[in-house]
Amino acid sequence: MEIIQSMDLPNYFLADLPPEATLSPAMIEAACDTLRHNREKYLVPRRTQDLVQILCEVAAEWRRPDNLYRRLALASATGFSAPVVARGLDDFFSHFTPENFAALLRQDLGDRVITGDGPKAPHPATLVHHHFCHGPGLLAHVAAGNIPNPALMSLTLGLLTRSAQFMKCASGASLLPRLFAHSLYEADHKLGTCLELAEWPGGHAELEGALFAAADCVTATGSDETLAAIRARVPAATRLLGYGQRVSFGLITREVLQTETIAELVAGVADDVIAWDQNGCLSPHAIYVEERGAVESDQFAALLAAELMQRETVAPRGAISVAAAAEIATRRALYETLAAHRGDVKLWQSQGSTAWTVVFEHEVRFHFSPLNRFVFVKPVRDLAAVFQGVDELKGRVSTVAVAALPGRRPELAAQLARWGVTRICAPGRMQDPPLTWRHDGRPALGDLVTWTDYEWEPPREAESHENL
Amino acid sequence: MNKDLANFSSRLRETISQRPSTLGDPQFAELARELFVLQFQGNPVYRRLCEVRQQTPATVQQWTQIPCVPTSAFKELELTSIPPAERTAVFLSSGTTGQKNSRHFHGPESLALYEASLWHWFQPHFRVQQEFLFLTPGRAAAPGSSLVHMFETVAQAGPGAERHAFCGRVADDGVWTVDFEQAVQRLASAVAGARPLILLGTAFSFVHLLDFLAANGRRFQLPPGSQVMETGGYKNRSRVLPKAELHALITTRLGVERADIICEYGMSELSSQAYDATVAPPSASASPRVFRFPPWARVQIISPETGRETAEGEPGLIRVFDLANVFSVAALQTEDLGVRRGDGFELVGRATQAEPRGCSLMSA
Repeated sequence: MEIIQSMDLPNYFLADLPPEATLSPAMIEAACDTLRHNREKYLVPRRTQDLVQILCEVAAEWRRPDNLYRRLALASATGFSAPVVARGLDDFFSHFTPENFAALLRQDLGDRVITGDGPKAPHPATLVHHHFCHGPGLLAHVAAGNIPNPALMSLTLGLLTRSAQFMKCASGASLLPRLFAHSLYEADHKLGTCLELAEWPGGHAELEGALFAAADCVTATGSDETLAAIRARVPAATRLLGYGQRVSFGLITREVLQTETIAELVAGVADDVIAWDQNGCLSPHAIYVEERGAVESDQFAALLAAELMQRETVAPRGAISVAAAAEIATRRALYETLAAHRGDVKLWQSQGSTAWTVVFEHEVRFHFSPLNRFVFVKPVRDLAAVFQGVDELKGRVSTVAVAALPGRRPELAAQLARWGVTRICAPGRMQDPPLTWRHDGRPALGDLVTWTDYEWEPPREAESHENL
Repeated sequence: MNKDLANFSSRLRETISQRPSTLGDPQFAELARELFVLQFQGNPVYRRLCEVRQQTPATVQQWTQIPCVPTSAFKELELTSIPPAERTAVFLSSGTTGQKNSRHFHGPESLALYEASLWHWFQPHFRVQQEFLFLTPGRAAAPGSSLVHMFETVAQAGPGAERHAFCGRVADDGVWTVDFEQAVQRLASAVAGARPLILLGTAFSFVHLLDFLAANGRRFQLPPGSQVMETGGYKNRSRVLPKAELHALITTRLGVERADIICEYGMSELSSQAYDATVAPPSASASPRVFRFPPWARVQIISPETGRETAEGEPGLIRVFDLANVFSVAALQTEDLGVRRGDGFELVGRATQAEPRGCSLMSA
């Protein structure tokens, strides 16, 4: 079998340099100058539809088993097992269709306006609009390192706004963004020259200072402290889109806890726990289960444990650090002790490893899971009890996966939305949001662009747009 | 009072006080087994856990197989064989606000053992004939602190108890502060009188003092023979300094060299402490300093992934078997990470209670 290694990739990006290469602020500045230049030349004139087509083609390539970049991703030390990476990438890239991109553009930028870069932009949509809409000239991303999809999505959105992009990857987490950038480079070299990726430990004042000074817009994903530190260093006139700490959980209503359908439901919840080993903001820390279903909440927990055990054989959890394992071991030890003394606490766990853990407890108060496939199952009377349990999380909840009969869904969704949840989905889809997902409730594409309003009467259909 | 445990306790106290060197591996193993049987019989909460794990006196062959209790269980359960009426003291963990505290109950015999244990391991590490200055409050203000109880004990046990002083205070909100005026006066007087001083406190109390000295442009050169005992933990009560930086500041501001700065590792759930140096370190700067417990307590480093003991040099969770924990549970699983180094261990961190993570804390 051919041995493939990511270090064999050509040196297109700073992140391709050998680890011993030292970055300097001057290198960042020079890279940003080049990016801006290339953007003017190669990206600004591109039609949105062309960009969408390239993205869809690249995505289709990634889903082919023999694709070089996919094989590299699966074979490399990403911290995830190959089946988990494969599933995560397949889910992600399956959304890349012209229809889905059209829906995203329509949702975030409106029906009548699609990005154009000036009156002469040869874009059919500009014939009817009377606004101009531009992406940032240079878009800087500070990507988080836990899971790769958000970084890939950031690059995708930046391409749609025809921005040159510089992505600062988290330490040890540049591989997948790099591979995606290489695949874009291969599909369209000119496009690739409008991308730059580099890796350095977060908080490097000089490198980040140079990057933020050059950028027109900065997106950052990280802890509240990380975001506060970045905010303090981004120039006031530069837009900062910060995506902070969010948590997610599941809610299973009693009507769907039926013996005939329970296996499918459990499989969906297991998908959510297993996806990226539960490391994303959209992964569930806890599953709230309504009491008095035909399948009781503790039976549900036992079934979930059995499912996680089975899945470990086909899609094992990745290796984790000693510190992460210690968090799991420490929590397990506590719940094991409690389980020995209280009938209302139960624990299921993998033997001889920390691969998966299910804790069943009646305490409704939300506890942060140490993640890496450690999930709480908490019986509740109703949704009001859930709100009581998650009260302290208000404003920080991203996704709630709701399993309910169609008749109950609208009312539950309305209540969750009123409470402040920004995404409600079905079990099994938590880590698989559509392209139109509004990140933390904000239009991810819409927030990148700037509008120019043109306050004369809109031209009549018959008028030529060329004179606008 | 459980007679068998009391009997074990008084025998151990005698051994600790009079012939600790007789506590070699076979003696330790024998005592550990004996204590396990007694705790299994005398501590129903512990017994239940052992039975669930199917690790009972009938199945446990070696002390390393004795089931341990996580320190966090002291927050949830009453892990003691002392009946409520006989409890004369309870040591609480100094958790951060909003967290439950650990509760380690004591009676007269268990306190006597605690005091014997702490004193007989403190003594070989500090120049106990010197004057002590404690940066913590005294017992009257902080009755639930095992650290303060320890300081009171060493203050009483050493010669010249009347020269010692506690310059910590407890603010209205329960937070410990340092009476800077008193501390500075004591430091100045030690320097003026050329009297070596032993300065003892928590890491955050040292940060408070050092920040105060820096803000006021004060520096002391404590007389030779002075020592510092610093014990970990910041509990959000001051800015957090890397250990090396804290120690460098202590040297700069107080004139105590690294070799005379001794770190303590202890917790309210234990009755023995570990120190990372002795009064006469052979080569303090060369090798990384390691913590050592007294001969009546042993440490294992456990892989959190597999639950088995790690190899030398590999990090894992610190497990302590403390014979002096007679009336609670001797086998304790801590939440601290360490690495075995020879007959000691290096402290490398803490398995913190899970914080919100998600996309968040991983950005680095």
